[in-house]
Amino acid sequence: MIDCDVHNSWSSSTALLPYLEPAFRDYLVRGELPGGRDSFPHAHRPWLHPEGFMRTDATPADGGTPGSNYELLREQLLDRYDLEYAILTGEEAIEVSTLANGHYASALARAANDWTVEEWLPLDPRLKGSLVVAPQDPRGAAEEIRRLGEHPDVVQVLVSSGSSRPYGDPVYHPIWEAAAEVGLPVGIHLGGQGGVNANPTGCGPPTFFWETHALLCETGMGHVASLIAHGVFERFPNLRFVLIECGVAWLPAILWRLDADYKALRKETPWLRRLPSEYAADHIRLTTQPLEQPASPRQLWPLLEAIAGERTLLFASDYPHWDFDDPTTLRLPPEWRERVFAENARELYGLPPRA
Amino acid sequence: MFACRASEVPPGARVIRELDGLSVGVFNVAGRFHALHNRCPHRGGDLCRGPVTGTAVPTEDYRFRYGLEGELVRCAWHGWEFEIESGRCLVDARIRARTFPVEIEADSVYVVV
Repeated sequence: MIDCDVHNSWSSSTALLPYLEPAFRDYLVRGELPGGRDSFPHAHRPWLHPEGFMRTDATPADGGTPGSNYELLREQLLDRYDLEYAILTGEEAIEVSTLANGHYASALARAANDWTVEEWLPLDPRLKGSLVVAPQDPRGAAEEIRRLGEHPDVVQVLVSSGSSRPYGDPVYHPIWEAAAEVGLPVGIHLGGQGGVNANPTGCGPPTFFWETHALLCETGMGHVASLIAHGVFERFPNLRFVLIECGVAWLPAILWRLDADYKALRKETPWLRRLPSEYAADHIRLTTQPLEQPASPRQLWPLLEAIAGERTLLFASDYPHWDFDDPTTLRLPPEWRERVFAENARELYGLPPRA
Repeated sequence: MFACRASEVPPGARVIRELDGLSVGVFNVAGRFHALHNRCPHRGGDLCRGPVTGTAVPTEDYRFRYGLEGELVRCAWHGWEFEIESGRCLVDARIRARTFPVEIEADSVYVVV
């Protein structure tokens, strides 16, 4: 089993000090921090989880942040579910996308990546890393992908789903070009809904955390439409994107709509050669968690079949977050389990079988 | 079957006629006559009542090139683009509007339905 969304964390942003270049270490030591001492520089989303957003049984004995302690993560996740691999996605690092200062954002991303490479990836051969980049600094993001993207234990580039513009916009293409060049897929993880990323949902800000959390799949919709319409997959034919924690069941409906509208107005995007749904089938992957679970799971199967879920879905638990999916109780079509729980991720991330 | 006088349909124009119970559009594209079933294969709209236009032809890398001027009809309902001569739908070559052979004798346009 391969878990494609595992949140490893620091308990204090001071963990990054050894990895920050001096000009920006100065900011972290002496500058303002949004949540006081130990907090990570980012603009916080305006919805505060009324219970905190962690599983309450995942706090390490030292009182640190859930996900900060390897031994506990190993016990509660790696060993308990006998994972072959866990794709680490970090905790706060993707929130660099919310900062107005792209230079600082990229410096923090570089430090977080070096911290992951130095302090997590060597701990266990089951751990694989994501390379966080700051999309508001496309040049810095592309440089970071070329700096570290060929590390043998780094398996994807990672950005937040919150963004200033939808990701098909040509301003971002240098990032995707670098990812295609080093041969890494790009994960788009739920988050980054704050600061300069001011468009979390379509009709103005929702009010409550749960209300918002259920709607944030809208960001996934926007990115899928934009990546396809702007011809990102014509430009970078080997590039694949993974929507992480952005929901699943909405995708077929959006693709049906995109196909219909594109058929009428293809003249707006004459660089496309295929239907939107055909690009999606080859280039978009989705992690399962939090998989929509209707009262009757049979209502979900036709939707998953419409997006060839057997090939496009990747299992993820989201450990140690409050909406964790337990692989032993997750309901999926039984004949899909081998592919969704392991083989799709193995192919996408190029992970060798482990004894 | 007699459809219309050629002189009724100058280049760029079209007429729609009932022929043997079928609604058929007769188009003059730069001096050549073509006949299309006036029924869009998409949703059955009046294909031949849509605008005759050109479009942005397939390109790469964000270039826009206007082409096929006067060679397309865009369905009156949803705007799908069809080549008048072949009936081919630009967005998906598997979709075709029905075409009919056209014969010209003197000033008479005949459509084989």
